[in-house]
Amino acid sequence: MLKILLAGDGGQGLQLISNIICESAFNKDLEVSHIPNYGLEQRGGVSLAFIKIDDKPIVYPKFSVADLLLILSDQSRQRVEQYNKKETMVLDVKDFKNILAENKIIPQSYNIFFLGMILKKLDEQNLVDMEYAKKYLENKLSNKFGWEENLRAFELGSGE
Amino acid sequence: MNKINNSKTEPAKFCPGCGHPIVLMMLNKVLTDLGLQKQAILGLDIGCSLLAWNYLPINTFQTHHGRVTSTMVGYKRAKPEAIVVGYTGDGGAYAIGLQNLVHAVKRDEPIIILVVNNTVYAMTGGQTAPTTLKNQKTSTSPDGVENDPFLGIELLKTVAHPQAFLARTAVNDPKTCQEYLKKAIATQQAGHFSAIEFLSMCPTNWKTKGVDTIKFLDNMKTVFKLGEK
Amino acid sequence: MENQKSKIKNQKLFITGAQVAVQACIDAGAQMMYGYPITPGTEVFTGWIEAQKNYLQTEDEIAAGFAVCGAVIAGQKAFTATAGPGHTLMQDGFSMAEGMRLPFVEIIAQRGGPSSGTVIYSQQEVILACLGGNGEGMRIVYSPANLDEVYELTRHTFNNAWKYRFPSILLTDGYMLKTRGIVDFSKFANLKNVDSYPLIKEGEAKHWRNIYTFEEELYDELQNQKKDFEQVRNEIAVAEEFETADAEVLLIAHGLVASACKQAVGELKLQGKKIGLWRPITLRPMDVKSLNKTVAKVKQVLIVESSLGQLARLIKDELDPELKVKITYLQKPAMGIEVEEIVDRINNIL
Repeated sequence: MLKILLAGDGGQGLQLISNIICESAFNKDLEVSHIPNYGLEQRGGVSLAFIKIDDKPIVYPKFSVADLLLILSDQSRQRVEQYNKKETMVLDVKDFKNILAENKIIPQSYNIFFLGMILKKLDEQNLVDMEYAKKYLENKLSNKFGWEENLRAFELGSGE
Repeated sequence: MNKINNSKTEPAKFCPGCGHPIVLMMLNKVLTDLGLQKQAILGLDIGCSLLAWNYLPINTFQTHHGRVTSTMVGYKRAKPEAIVVGYTGDGGAYAIGLQNLVHAVKRDEPIIILVVNNTVYAMTGGQTAPTTLKNQKTSTSPDGVENDPFLGIELLKTVAHPQAFLARTAVNDPKTCQEYLKKAIATQQAGHFSAIEFLSMCPTNWKTKGVDTIKFLDNMKTVFKLGEK
Repeated sequence: MENQKSKIKNQKLFITGAQVAVQACIDAGAQMMYGYPITPGTEVFTGWIEAQKNYLQTEDEIAAGFAVCGAVIAGQKAFTATAGPGHTLMQDGFSMAEGMRLPFVEIIAQRGGPSSGTVIYSQQEVILACLGGNGEGMRIVYSPANLDEVYELTRHTFNNAWKYRFPSILLTDGYMLKTRGIVDFSKFANLKNVDSYPLIKEGEAKHWRNIYTFEEELYDELQNQKKDFEQVRNEIAVAEEFETADAEVLLIAHGLVASACKQAVGELKLQGKKIGLWRPITLRPMDVKSLNKTVAKVKQVLIVESSLGQLARLIKDELDPELKVKITYLQKPAMGIEVEEIVDRINNIL
C-alpha cells in the first residue's frame, strides 16, 4: 500500500495531477482511493489530495503518515507537518528551486514537473504505466495554454 | 490609511477581482469619516460575505445564511444607539432571507442592509441565484435561466416607509457608493430602514478575465437600474 | 472518448461518493429532486442535474422539504439532499413527513456543527437525523461505511420509504461524498425497486390531517405508528458483526469511522488482539438484538465517532440495561479518526 499526500495552494493544479496519478494506477487494475481537502475560500487556500494505491481493496481513504509527500507552497508546508515522519519521502518545491530556475520552469508548471517525478517513481514500482500516464496528460493539457512549458516540465521531472 | 487598518485586521481571502473588498472598504471609509467606527456593528450572511468576519477594524460577527436581517433587527432593538449594518449576498437577501427582509422593511426597522449582487451563489461554486440574468448559465441552470432576474430593491420599495432609503449602485462607482452609504447612515439615525444593492463582480464564477469582468458588470446595469428608488 | 473509457474498466468506475449517490437515485427510479446549494451536498444536486434529470432549485431548504412532501403525496418519487444548517431547516418538512407517514427521501452530507461549523465533515448530525423535529424519531436512517454501501443503502432508502411509509435518510458525510474510489456496479444488477404510488387518488375525497383536536387522537395515531415502526425494525434493521466471535473488546462505530475501525481491527488481530467491531448499518431503527447479543459477550466497549457522543447516546439508549459492560469513548467532533489513532487507543486498553 502506498500513501501519497499532495499539498499546495488552491490554483496550483494539485487536483489535476492527483487525477492523473489515480487514473494511471486505476488503469493498472490496482485499487485506488482519493480524497481532497480544501477550506472555504474559492481561491488561495490550501489544497490537499490524499491518495492510496494498493493491490487489496482500500477500506479507508485517509491516513496519518504519508509514504510520499509533495509540498508545492509555503502555506501548505505547515499544514502537512503532521503527515511527515521519518519514513516519509518528501518532494518539497523549496529543494528544487535551483533546478527549476536553471531549466526556466515557470511556476504554473511546477505541478507537472513533480507529476513527472512522482510518475517515474510509481512506474519503477510497477504501479503505473509511464506511457499511459503521459498520454493521459497529453489528452488533458495539450489543447490548453502553456502546453510546451508543461511538456518540458514533465520531461525534466520524469528524467526523460 | 492609519484610521482604516489596525493590527487586528487580517488580509482578506476574497478572490482577486471580487467586488466585496470594495464595498467593505467604502463602508469603513464612510464610518471613519463620520467618526462612527466604534458604534458600528457589522453582521454577515454565510456565503462570500462571511470572509469579512476579521477584515475591518469594527465589531463584526457572522450569522446564518439568510438570517442576517433578523439578527440585526434583534441587535438594534437591544442597542438602539448602535449603527447596525447587515451584510449579505443576493442569495441571502433575495432567496432564503427574502421573507425576513420584506418584513423588516414593512416594519421600518432602522437598520442598514447591504446586498452585494454578483448574480450567483459564489462560495458554493456559482449556482443560480434570484439575480442570475436571463439566459445566464450556471451549474443549476445549465440551459440558461428562463425567467427575468429578481429586482429586490424595487420589491422592497412596495412595502417601505416613505422615509426609508432604498438604492442601487455599482462597485465601479465609488463616489456614489460612498454617497449612498452616508445617506443610509443618516436614514438609520433618523429612525428608518435602508438597503443598498451593490452590483458587484465575481470573475471566479463568471469565468471572466480583466475587461470582460467589467463588461459583465456594465451589462448588469441594463437590467438592474441604478439610482435611488 | 478516451477520458470516459479510462474511468471504466470491466464495469468498474473510479468515481466519487456523490456520483455514486446520484447513480443510485437514478437507478432507484427517482423522478424529481428539490435542492438548494450547500457544501458538501451540492455535488449530489449538480450531479443529478448533469444527468439531465428533473429538478428545481428552491429558495431555501424549507421550500425544498415541503416540495418533496407535496411531490410524494402526488405519487412522485422525489428526494432532496442537504447538510448542516440546511439539515436543520429541513426538519420542518421532514417532520410533516413523519407525522403524515410520507415516503420522503433525503441524502444528508454531515459537516461540522453546530451552526455553520465547517463545510467539510463530521458525524454530528446523527441525533438530528434520527431524532430531529418535534416528533418521536420514527424515521429510517442508513449509515454507509464505504462507496458500495452509498450505492446500496441509497437504493434501500428509496425502497423502504415507499414500502413502509416512513421518511428515510441516507446519512453520509462530506468525506465520503468527496472520496473517489473504485465501484463495481455489476454487483448491484439484481436490485429491484419498490414503485411509488399516489397517496391521494383522484376522486377519493381523502381528508388528511396532521393536527388533531384531542390528545387521545394523536396518542392513538402515535401508538399505531410505533407498532408499524417496530415491524420495520424486525424486517430491515441491520448491523455488521465483524470479528466479534472471540472479541474481548468491542469497537462500536458507524459510517466512514467504522471503515477506519475495520482496518484497525484487521491490524490488531494480526497482533493477536481479541478485538471486534459492531457496526449499525441502520441507525434507526437499530438492530438491537444484534447489539445486545454482541455486547453481552465482551468485557469492554469503545464507541468511536466524529462527534461528542451522538452515536453513544443512541447505543446506550438501545442497550439492554441488564448488561454490565465498561463503556469507553473515542470522540473527535468534526474531525476524521485515523486507523493509527484507533490502534493506539486499543493498545492502551489491552
